[in-house]
Amino acid sequence: MSTAAGGPASGGISPNNVLILGVVGGLAGIYLTTLNLSMNTTIFSFMGGIGAIFAAVWGADAVRRVCSYGLGTGVPSIGMLALGMGIVAAMFGLSLPESDLIALPAAANYLGPIISFITASIMGLIIGIMANKILKMNIPIMEKSMLEIAGAGCLVMIGLSVAIVGDFRFEEGIVPGVITTGYIALVFIGGAMAMLHPFNACLGPDEKQYRTLTVGVEKTALMMVLVGVASLTEIDAVSSALTIVIGLIIFVVYFKKFLEATHHDAYLITGTGLLPTEEELE
Amino acid sequence: MIDPITTIVLITLGGVLVGLGVHFIPVGGAPAAMAQATGVGTGTVQLAAGAGLTGLISAGFMYNELATSTGLTNSNMILVLASGAVGAMIMITVTMFIGQLIYVYGVGVPPVSAKVKKDPITGDVQDIYVSKGTEGHGIPTVSFVSGTIGGLLGGLGGSLIYIQLMNIGGDHTNSGIVALAGIFATGVFYVNSVIASYNIGGTIEGFHDPKFKRVPKAIVSCLIASLLCAIIAVPIMGGVA
Repeated sequence: MSTAAGGPASGGISPNNVLILGVVGGLAGIYLTTLNLSMNTTIFSFMGGIGAIFAAVWGADAVRRVCSYGLGTGVPSIGMLALGMGIVAAMFGLSLPESDLIALPAAANYLGPIISFITASIMGLIIGIMANKILKMNIPIMEKSMLEIAGAGCLVMIGLSVAIVGDFRFEEGIVPGVITTGYIALVFIGGAMAMLHPFNACLGPDEKQYRTLTVGVEKTALMMVLVGVASLTEIDAVSSALTIVIGLIIFVVYFKKFLEATHHDAYLITGTGLLPTEEELE
Repeated sequence: MIDPITTIVLITLGGVLVGLGVHFIPVGGAPAAMAQATGVGTGTVQLAAGAGLTGLISAGFMYNELATSTGLTNSNMILVLASGAVGAMIMITVTMFIGQLIYVYGVGVPPVSAKVKKDPITGDVQDIYVSKGTEGHGIPTVSFVSGTIGGLLGGLGGSLIYIQLMNIGGDHTNSGIVALAGIFATGVFYVNSVIASYNIGGTIEGFHDPKFKRVPKAIVSCLIASLLCAIIAVPIMGGVA
């Protein structure tokens, strides 16, 4: 329910800076995995996970901004919507350069992630406009936020998939490695969790951007560990281990940061001890 | 060769059915979890997805049983649709029934609606049983029936989307196509159920709830969103095959 109903979220890094960070970081991470192909290795697969972290932080910030108006349906729904739109757009964008629908030059094979991202943004914008114009939700930043959430959802989804298989080409990489194996379901729910959980966990009158986004990084790093484990069946063990170790390191660092931020923001921290036993109460 | 226009129209119809079905499901959200509102105590999307995905699995099972190399015949398609609808209905009724047991024997509240004075189906008096400060509790008969209808529509819509995607994919023995159709149907399902839940805005008791009158808006929105998804989906599934 709309526990966080109220005005716009404020403070911290400006929305546009987070947007730039998410788009550039997300796409850079995904595209850096093409080093795998040029060097004939899979060692750079972890870059997909790093890209997913940037995109998820951006998505979590957009969720934070739109949900602070109060949606009436709880925060999780918007994460599911993001990955719902993201997955449809990602599959379309990644498969388009390889399908026979439009004749594209061979170099266009690398455009998949960008096509996906643009498609997701358009879908998000249309759904955002519908939410305000037809459903009358009257949230002033709905259109922009939906665009951002769909775009971020799409990048998270591609980033995590690429971390599993080390290749974003549709026929060679994504279909046999992520879709046929069923890891796509893990990416779907885990990616949605990385975007919706930070604000869902931190919401309230004392919610702060830094603390929320730290949860975002920590949660996506945890997802990175999971996709690393999944990638053991797809790429060689060293590359998978690299993804798992880097994910674990980021998780530990940012979980500590989150704890520090929580302690910093709390009025008082006190140990209450264990609950008294029955004898002690008598 | 399957006509792409028919496919797009049917996928869109499936999406609209999902959006419509969500409005029938008695969703209580957080207040219902504390027995302070009528319905099951969780969000719209969770309930609809739970029922819809179960429907998708039962439809997928039936599709694999019946499909031949030339696709499905029309009568077989009805069987797959029915299988999906029944799967979703079983899931939602089991959820409501177990929830009801907890409300009645665990929390100790009578199932009662706060939106109507008499249950439209049984005619039982409702308003005198509503606890003070709450908006009803439990799942009264009318909400239970409404929820079952919701499961029917949701399962029907979900399996319609899945069948259409599988038909374009063309090869039910290729697990890549099956998985792609499944995850795509899930994506379209989530988009439509979230849009419908935004239209409801929190809680709804079923078709007797005044909020049910908002249905036309959701249908228009789901129509546009599903059309968008369908136009995107058809080339991908065709491309893989």
